[in-house]
Amino acid sequence: MAEISESPGETHQISETTHKAEEPESDFDPETMRNSKPGIKRLILTLSVLFSFLLGFPFLWKSVEIYRAPLPFREIDMLSAQIESNPLLFPCHFQAIFVGFDSKPSMTPDALGSSILSQMTKLTSKPPQCGTCSTNYSIAVTVDSSLGCIQTRNLEDTSSWRCGSMGTTDFSDDEGVDKALADSLGGKVYSVVVVHGDREEVRAVVGKYRHAWVVGRVSEAEAVARAAEIFVKVFVNGGKEEGLIHGEFMPVGADGKIVLSFNLLNSDPQDWVYDWDFQSIDETLLSPVIEALESVANISVESQVLYHTPKSSFSHWDDEQESYIFSTKDLPFFVNSNEWHLDTSIAAGGRSKILQIVVYIPSARECPLLLQLPNGEISKTNGFISPMWGGVIVWNPKDCLKDSESQHPLRRTISQQDLQKVFEVVMGQFRQLFGLKSNNVYVGASGTSSLLASERGFTEWELDVLSRQHTCFNLHSCATTLGSLSRLVQSLPRMIIMDEIGKQVMYSLEAATLARSNASLGLYDSSAVSSRQARYLAEDAFFHPSIMSVSYYSFEHCFAVYSPFFLPVSMHVLLAALREWRRYKQENKKYLAWKTKVKKDS
Amino acid sequence: MRFKMYGSFRCRMVLLLLFLLLDCNFSNCLADTSSEATTHTNNWAVLVCTSRFWFNYRHMANTLSLYRTVKRLGIPDERIILMLADDMACNARNKYPAQVFNNENHKLNLYGDNVEVDYRGYEVTVENFFRVLTGRHENAVPRSKRLLSDEGSHILLYMTGHGGDEFLKFQDSEELQSHDLADAVKQMKEKRRFKELLIMVDTCQAATLFSQLQSPGVLAIGSSMKGENSYSHHLDSDVGVSVVDRFTFYTLGFFERLNMYNNDSLISLFSSYNPSMLMSTAYYRTDLYQRHLEEVPVTNFFGSVMEMIHTDSAYSLLSRKESFRVEIKMSADKSVPDKKRLMDNPSDLDQISELNIEDQHGALKRIWSTIQKEMEKVEDVDAFVSYGLVLIVPLLAVSMWLTW
Repeated sequence: MAEISESPGETHQISETTHKAEEPESDFDPETMRNSKPGIKRLILTLSVLFSFLLGFPFLWKSVEIYRAPLPFREIDMLSAQIESNPLLFPCHFQAIFVGFDSKPSMTPDALGSSILSQMTKLTSKPPQCGTCSTNYSIAVTVDSSLGCIQTRNLEDTSSWRCGSMGTTDFSDDEGVDKALADSLGGKVYSVVVVHGDREEVRAVVGKYRHAWVVGRVSEAEAVARAAEIFVKVFVNGGKEEGLIHGEFMPVGADGKIVLSFNLLNSDPQDWVYDWDFQSIDETLLSPVIEALESVANISVESQVLYHTPKSSFSHWDDEQESYIFSTKDLPFFVNSNEWHLDTSIAAGGRSKILQIVVYIPSARECPLLLQLPNGEISKTNGFISPMWGGVIVWNPKDCLKDSESQHPLRRTISQQDLQKVFEVVMGQFRQLFGLKSNNVYVGASGTSSLLASERGFTEWELDVLSRQHTCFNLHSCATTLGSLSRLVQSLPRMIIMDEIGKQVMYSLEAATLARSNASLGLYDSSAVSSRQARYLAEDAFFHPSIMSVSYYSFEHCFAVYSPFFLPVSMHVLLAALREWRRYKQENKKYLAWKTKVKKDS
Repeated sequence: MRFKMYGSFRCRMVLLLLFLLLDCNFSNCLADTSSEATTHTNNWAVLVCTSRFWFNYRHMANTLSLYRTVKRLGIPDERIILMLADDMACNARNKYPAQVFNNENHKLNLYGDNVEVDYRGYEVTVENFFRVLTGRHENAVPRSKRLLSDEGSHILLYMTGHGGDEFLKFQDSEELQSHDLADAVKQMKEKRRFKELLIMVDTCQAATLFSQLQSPGVLAIGSSMKGENSYSHHLDSDVGVSVVDRFTFYTLGFFERLNMYNNDSLISLFSSYNPSMLMSTAYYRTDLYQRHLEEVPVTNFFGSVMEMIHTDSAYSLLSRKESFRVEIKMSADKSVPDKKRLMDNPSDLDQISELNIEDQHGALKRIWSTIQKEMEKVEDVDAFVSYGLVLIVPLLAVSMWLTW
């Protein structure tokens, strides 16, 4: 080690030279005092080296810094907390119209309204489920009788109900009634019209729009119960038992897209080859459905015809049915994934959802192929679904005859009527995949209501239900995705966060806020659209390819890389400066001691 | 004297550090509470062969055999991600061009028709492997190369190659470390990319690769314990190299007698490994897995049994006039009861005995092993490392002070 400190000999020399010039050395102790000012040259040198080190430090810090776009962690937490704490509920407006209840003076609109309200609260599931209506329902009641027309006053959304307009309506034509009600009521208000009639049989019909009507000899209490049930169970919950859809019944891809892939499978082209006129189906039947679902998902359609696609389960001949039977036990093995090359879509992006719709034509060896249900019955639809995957329909050619003489297989086209029937089953399956029933009837506690089917595949009120539920699901998914992202980002402090991710997160949050505000205003469609946007952007940010924990080293690595360069040197520099400073102070003390002594002496 | 002082000082620092660590461990128990009762809807398989070069023929054969098995049991190609680090079939040294065998009897060509390799050759990297697991791909990556699983998916992750203590070598140039794997699995869980995950690894010291896993729903089985090697099964003198590893060979032996209708349980697979045949101890980790292995059919991971629901009724679009002939007959829509499969042989529970052989090689080794055990208990590795870093500075200062 270099000897930096002043050697005693040196000091002695200095003191010798100085004392030769001046005082006698009687009580001059070279150990404790000196008679010259200590030099600061060395101190300045070491300090300047230290300072240059310190000056360089910010540059080093800056140069190893990692660019991280600022993410709004607090907002993300707030969104998650909000969505967790209070489930998203939509305001819904209801309207009940009582026609032809003449005799009773007790039937004031306000009394009816409150009794309907109490019934509805009874029917509503206790913890309000996400994506349903908020529990403080607003109900307008109109009583239209021969005495006149009375309405509840306290509501701002007064209906455009014209009194006495129902007098001439023929209730045997459901379509006509539905149309007439839609014209006269219109709007976004869920309405139930109760018409007191002479017919013994009470019929309740839920229309294609947001209206329902009950016709027949109904008592007042019965009418109230019916109205309340239709409101809560049909209009709010969509005719399903449980309100909340689970993720597994959410067949919409993370980017808000669905690809409907229609496959026609000719299991054995030696027997027959069928083709279909898919273009016409797409144009006439599918496009209205796709348009109707626009707010929930962006749907695209593709189709293909495949050959040599045997199923992988077995069937057996049944004499009674005179057909081949496969049972529900075999369904899990029906889809032959190795021979059915269904997933050919190039159009589908990485995170879109593909729903396979398979129309399976059996070979001549097992031609009328029928599905037997566990209770022994034969399935009417001959089809089944797999959640999140799609559906399969077995379509049997008429007569199952093949021309055994001809070498070449028969080329036929499925007739329009057959195709239409197949398409109706497809529609049923599609609705099933979305969690909706298709049997056109709702059986409630207070009676059975028939549901009118829309040519668009989904009625207005069903679309409302879907929009609400998808908004809820999308917002949940968005919040959890952003939450995961923020946890991930905070756990990797050395990760580069590109501006793009920051932007996506910001836009996602904005869209989520917009969806929430739209929801509180009761705009179902637009809230569904913006919630989809929010989910899509959140997923995009989370799955950004630049986030890869392997490609980032931690702070420890950084430290380990730079410390061999700087740590040993900087220690020496620091210690040298400290030591030099100490030496200077010590020497200065000696000098001061000498000075006081000189002063005392003189 | 001074050195002694210094030594005791260091001891005290280490003790202090240990206390600090004990403190931090408690704050680190963030449990994943989002265990929802979603049903199992689909199956995926990620099969990875990580080694290059001709003498690693057997790793490719291992992977292709597994590929063939899961395909035979019903997982479609579009749900299998097959990663092969080299192309043995087209290797110039291959006596059987375009064919790969896993047995010297050459009965079964694994590289026959319909083999869809998703990642090949130099595409098999740690990065790409993680991209597959976590789903972070460039936009241009096609669907067939992505693991598009969801919260109802069961995923089989099979890896084979050369490994060591807590790592698996990729391509002779990179390694996959156990904490990286655990991190990727954690991210998958966070984003609900699987319901259950079975990790199966055939490599030396395979069990060490699972040590860092902490996500619920993960089941892991490895061919060998720490300190053990996994050996190849036999050499094919025609091909000139070993063609299959022992662990995979016996796994395939188990599956050869199964078809997709079988319902043998996972425990019967796991207990079928005989340590004397494997020449290593198959180790499986179940503490993160909720279900009992006796109740889980192997086809839950190695096959694909889809849940099917019958469609009750068509949606009559055009025959609307008829719609008010109300059909009240409600056929109960029963989902197909494929879940309630009864196990045939639930009781062959000859668990692999744990080998607790204590080395008696003197006190020093024992102390070292206790220290190591203590270290293994340390959960918060990050904090440990940063304390270590903080410790460097005073140590350095002290050592400089002494040498001055």
